Amino acid sequence: MKPGVWQRLDIIARGLLPAFSVFVLLLINLLPISVPLLSTASPALALMAVFYWSVNRPDLLTGVTAFLLGLLQDLLMGLPLGVSSLVLLLVQTGSASQGRFFHNKPFSVMWWGFALVAIPALLVQWLLSSALIGALLPIKATLISYVLTAVLFPTVAWVLARAQNSLLRYV
Amino acid sequence: MAQHGGPQQRIFSPLRTALHRFAFILLIFSAFGLMLLGKADTVLIERIRAASADLVSPVMNIVSRPAASINELTDKIYNLAHLYEENERLRRENQHLLAWQQAARNLSHENARLRDLAGYTSPPALHLVTSRVIADMGGAYAHSVMISAGSRDGVSKGQAVISDEGLVGRVAEAGYQASRVLLITDINSRVPVVVENSRDRAFLSGDNTNRPLLTFLTADAAVAPGDRILTSGHGGAFPPGIPIGVVSSVSENAVRVAPMFRRHQLEYLRVADYGLHGILSNERIQQSQSANNENTVDVSPDIPDGVGIVPATPDPAGEAQ
Repeated sequence: MKPGVWQRLDIIARGLLPAFSVFVLLLINLLPISVPLLSTASPALALMAVFYWSVNRPDLLTGVTAFLLGLLQDLLMGLPLGVSSLVLLLVQTGSASQGRFFHNKPFSVMWWGFALVAIPALLVQWLLSSALIGALLPIKATLISYVLTAVLFPTVAWVLARAQNSLLRYV
Repeated sequence: MAQHGGPQQRIFSPLRTALHRFAFILLIFSAFGLMLLGKADTVLIERIRAASADLVSPVMNIVSRPAASINELTDKIYNLAHLYEENERLRRENQHLLAWQQAARNLSHENARLRDLAGYTSPPALHLVTSRVIADMGGAYAHSVMISAGSRDGVSKGQAVISDEGLVGRVAEAGYQASRVLLITDINSRVPVVVENSRDRAFLSGDNTNRPLLTFLTADAAVAPGDRILTSGHGGAFPPGIPIGVVSSVSENAVRVAPMFRRHQLEYLRVADYGLHGILSNERIQQSQSANNENTVDVSPDIPDGVGIVPATPDPAGEAQ
């Protein structure tokens, strides 16, 4: 059986879903929200999505994609170029290789896993950003950002899981 | 790939893993390459950043509207709850302001007459572009916002950005329809300022906290908490006299300033075109970079011009002798 043009387009579109979801989360991160705390330290939404897809569908979110999404994040947020690319690439590679560990385990295990992965990820981002800017950035904002990232992970993971179950079951 | 199996799989799978590993190492190196490239701070990077802002601005322009209306709703609820106190406060403030209005009228008349008498040349007129904040970027690592105005509207790099309260930052990159504004609290921000009462000059240096520092303050400067800080207008980057903030704390090694604006409440901003193109204009940067070369090259063609103009003052002296 040979799939038609539309079917093939459909498969391509579904294959792009993980990358697209990270892009949407990046834009959500950019939204001006009038909560005092969120303006100085925002949760790293893209990091959550990259971790989620690397664990669950590493075939659909490759290292190259993670690298490019990181580049986009740096460009949009005015961060030193290359830092997010490196962090997301390392997170993608690390979690994709350890992905098997999380399969058929309760969600809380994945949550703990993410909370552990996010520590070095944000630490590397903070260190490299500080080094490239040439001044030590306040660590407090990074700490708040880490707590927000760890706490909000289940919400984002739930939305991504819904998307995965409804759109990517057969891809 | 996995479905095919067979001998192909056995031959090519080591090659595939090797290729994957190579790609990974290549990506790591290109990440560091990007860091170096970004550090070199070329015009190219700036253009790409501006283009990426342009790319997402149509989406952000639409998506930020519901967010703004949600914010408005919460504001309304808050305002309803505090209606009485707010009214009282405004009544008192109004009384106060009416007295100030009278004083300001008298002073502006007096000022106009004194300017006439002194033949004062007024500073260039301010051209303002109003735009909406469509994205708040950076979070913990950078303090900047995106606005929905770009070179299409006359916005260019280096121009001052002000809110109702005072100076917010400067345009870091201007795209065609969107620009990035570097807030004065960002670690890369330096603004020449003056203390309102003592007229002491200093720099306001951001450090990614909500309270930027006053640096390059002279040792004998008299600064106390509560002093207002204004832009000084030095360097031609910002119009002088725009309020920036109030000194919040003075200690042995740091004077901190509380800015007038609150980052999470920025909604509409005005970009001030002062007609001077700012200190960051490409022409000026090029001039300062190629100054040495130009001097050496231009020496010979400059002399004939200079003869006519420069000795104009010594000439009468020579004639007198």
